Amino acid sequence: MTRRKTSEQVQQLVFVGPSTLFFVLIVAVPFFLGLYYAFTDWNGISRQADGVGLRNFAHIFTKDPAFLNSFWFTAKFMVLGVVLTNLAGFALAYFLTKRLYTRNVMRTVFFMPHVIGGLLLGFIWQFIFVRGFSSIGEATGLAFFKLPWLGTEATSFWAIVIVFVWQNAGYLMVIYISAINNVPKNLIEAAKVDGAGRKQVLRHVIVPLVMPAVTVCLFLAISWSFKLFDLNLSLTKGGPFKSTESVALNIYNEAFNISRFGMGSAKAIIFFIVVALISILQVRATKRREVEL
Amino acid sequence: MRLGKQALLLLTILAMALLMAGCGKNGPEMDGGRKVLHIFQFKVEIAEALEGLKAEYEKEHPDIKLDIQTVGGGSDYGASLRSKFASGEEPDIFNIGGYTEMEMWQEYLEDLSDQPWVKDVKEIAKEPMTKNGKLYGQPMNLEGYGFIYNKDLFAKAGITEKPVTLSGLREAAEKLKAAGITPFSDGYQEWFVLGNHNVNVAFANQPDPAEFIQGLSDGKYKFAEDPVFEQWTELLDLTLEYGNANPLTTDYNTQVTMFANGEAAMLQQGNWTQVQLDGINPDLNLGILPMPIDDTAEDNDRLFVGVPNNWVIYKDSPVKEEAKEFLNWLVTSETGKKYITKEFKFIPAFDSIEGTEEDLGALGMEVLNYTDAGKALTWNWFRLPNGMPQEISSSMQAYIGGKIGKTEMLEQFQMNWDNLSVD
Amino acid sequence: METAKRYRGGLILIEAVLILGGLVFLIPFYFLIVNSLKSFGEILTDAASWPGVFHWGNYAEAWNKTAFPKAFGNSLLVTVASNLLLVLMCSMAAYRMARRPTRYNRFLYAAFVAAMVIPFQAIMIPLVKVSSLLGIMNSIWGLIICYLGFGAPMTVFLLHGFVKSVPVDVEEAGRVDGCSPYGVFFRIILPLMQPIAVTVIILNTLWIWNDYLMPSLILQKPELYTIPIETFAFFGQYTKQWDLALPALVLGITPVVIFFLVMQKYIIAGIAQGSVKG
Repeated sequence: MTRRKTSEQVQQLVFVGPSTLFFVLIVAVPFFLGLYYAFTDWNGISRQADGVGLRNFAHIFTKDPAFLNSFWFTAKFMVLGVVLTNLAGFALAYFLTKRLYTRNVMRTVFFMPHVIGGLLLGFIWQFIFVRGFSSIGEATGLAFFKLPWLGTEATSFWAIVIVFVWQNAGYLMVIYISAINNVPKNLIEAAKVDGAGRKQVLRHVIVPLVMPAVTVCLFLAISWSFKLFDLNLSLTKGGPFKSTESVALNIYNEAFNISRFGMGSAKAIIFFIVVALISILQVRATKRREVEL
Repeated sequence: MRLGKQALLLLTILAMALLMAGCGKNGPEMDGGRKVLHIFQFKVEIAEALEGLKAEYEKEHPDIKLDIQTVGGGSDYGASLRSKFASGEEPDIFNIGGYTEMEMWQEYLEDLSDQPWVKDVKEIAKEPMTKNGKLYGQPMNLEGYGFIYNKDLFAKAGITEKPVTLSGLREAAEKLKAAGITPFSDGYQEWFVLGNHNVNVAFANQPDPAEFIQGLSDGKYKFAEDPVFEQWTELLDLTLEYGNANPLTTDYNTQVTMFANGEAAMLQQGNWTQVQLDGINPDLNLGILPMPIDDTAEDNDRLFVGVPNNWVIYKDSPVKEEAKEFLNWLVTSETGKKYITKEFKFIPAFDSIEGTEEDLGALGMEVLNYTDAGKALTWNWFRLPNGMPQEISSSMQAYIGGKIGKTEMLEQFQMNWDNLSVD
Repeated sequence: METAKRYRGGLILIEAVLILGGLVFLIPFYFLIVNSLKSFGEILTDAASWPGVFHWGNYAEAWNKTAFPKAFGNSLLVTVASNLLLVLMCSMAAYRMARRPTRYNRFLYAAFVAAMVIPFQAIMIPLVKVSSLLGIMNSIWGLIICYLGFGAPMTVFLLHGFVKSVPVDVEEAGRVDGCSPYGVFFRIILPLMQPIAVTVIILNTLWIWNDYLMPSLILQKPELYTIPIETFAFFGQYTKQWDLALPALVLGITPVVIFFLVMQKYIIAGIAQGSVKG
């Protein structure tokens, strides 16, 4: 009896121990250290940090409308980004699981954007929006390319959404492809025999069976869009006039440009709480749906 | 139960790690019998030349090894420097800006007032790193800005006299426009063009900029009530009226390219742009104009000159003396001086170092001449509360984009100032 | 017969639309490659056109200045080691968490999921403090440890979902054959995980290979620099040396593209074999 219990403990340690150890050291401990700074006026430099109680939080809620705006921007961005990347990813996957001549090549093509990292990607796209688009606009006369990309609130917002979808749709496509490939062929055949059209097969056979992949993809896209930073920094730097500043960028600026590290940590904690709540709700919702099916 | 055991294990590991890390660095780091001097700098533009300098220095000083680290990416230097100090790997020599930034790093800085080179520092370059009469940094170089202009295009438009007043500038712009040339290339997508350089015109033209800035924090002055800020908006309007389309989508590269191609006749930038201009079109005939805000010629014929960065020494460095020796060598030895002007292409911040047009280019030379003639106004963005230049730039962009009016722009300056000037 | 014909026609249309879409997707790569072969002035004055003269020298210079073989070696070591360790470590954890949902394990899983959304920037200074206490600054293995910590949440999350879809009966067979719990995991579960493991490896590879911020904080010696750090050295305060940064970027992403091309076969093959699914 005891031996069995010991063996259970050893198993727990062997299986879960390493990940827990690294997670605690590299993520949890720094996070709680940050929690501590949230209640100080530390500037990120000095050897000394004085406790200020809840003053940072009070300041954020009363004197910092920009932080609230960045939440609003991030929320809008998240909704559009998550929906569009998933739709695009799924559509690509759906068509690229058909018997096309160029199937494998096209899969690679659509995946390619994901191989460039965020910061450099933003620089390249900035280059394209600013210089490339205007060259194309002059050559073709199309109004779309002559818009002041990155110059107005609306176009900057869409610029980030476009690049985000461009970058990530291909990745979600790969996950959806594996899921669709896994749908048993005989189920589809059976449905067709029963007289189901292509749309019905898609809606009543394929979509329900790839729901686990949808959960994963939604969560990935949500987590990417919440953490939007590299792309934001290199593409618009939050401009024009702060209209495209993500929460992550706002926190970074607070900590490193304004040098109020304590205030930045307080913002990070508020952000964390909000996002954690949303994520938990989202995972619950989709999991429930899976079970139903 | 299981939980307890694992937690115990974790704690043990943590405690061991803490013990191991407990021993800080005491003596100087050695490498093959040579003392290592860690230098941390952010000027990517001189990284390669520094390698040459390092070789020369190590040849003359066989007991020293220089370890020079350059942080690229432009904006990440501040974060990297903070993480260096947070991790206890403080560099012996590093770069910081003056005023507000110096205040933040104060507790780590060595007093350099007694160094032999101090007497040669140009007056304008001393103040940013001076506190209570003590000098805490060695200015890296001088930089200056105004409206860089294309002399050939000006001649082509029939402008014979260099405009130094606001109405003179307006006249010139009118003539350029009539000749089919875009007068100004506005790069207002970049926050530093607006929030550092452009708005500085209004700060620097105050009778006493330092007192004015202090007064803003104390509530003695308000942006909206200030006459100089009012005048400055006229200049901003002028550049917009006679500028390129879509100034908010124009970044630094585009701005410079437009000018270098001969599409535009002026751009608000400084001597640092020389390299880029030469890369696109080496045959440009260049000069720098002042940025006038009214019509008195003698008040307005000035450029804005300042020290972008300073070398400082970490106060508790085990090789503090060696670090001082290096900085001294950099600005007094023939090799060091040669590197500053010929290799780094810096405008020297020292009277004891000569700059020639061949090394500095036309723009650098113009800045140096203005400085030596006493016709220089100061750089004040280093005095502003942290993060203020970015906020100012946002409000200015909103104004340029037509989202808000002049009054609202100045009100937003005030609001952000009040938010940021408290710690 | 008739249906088949119509179907074929529809497919051709889809194919044409996809190819067109693919070309649009590749436009940025056109800019990337074309401009990597131009002189600095030409990049700025005429970004969209075909290069007048091919400056292959850009690549040679970028290769030398980034010390490419060294940077490549560092990036490769970090990416491969982090990936293998992450997948091994996290599949074990995910397996255990999914099969033994004790209160402790459920709590841990929730903590992992929550941590996925912490922005790295918010904890980077405290992280550096902790790293220096642990003595892992300035070493490749220290960087790998950081990736193990930061990669664990996402990796566990993805693998956890998969393990739950594997029927427990599969393990029973192994138990009957006398396998230890470890044997069951390594002989039965791990092989089944191949398709999802490939997905996870690709995701982590791209992240680690391209990551700039973490290595720039942890690695402070030039001989340890990875490709992104070397590439960023071309971006100065005012000047962005596009004529060197673009070729460096092309050099940097080529290995990943090749990697994906190779792995793609495994994803498809793996999925086709693995009949297990939920």
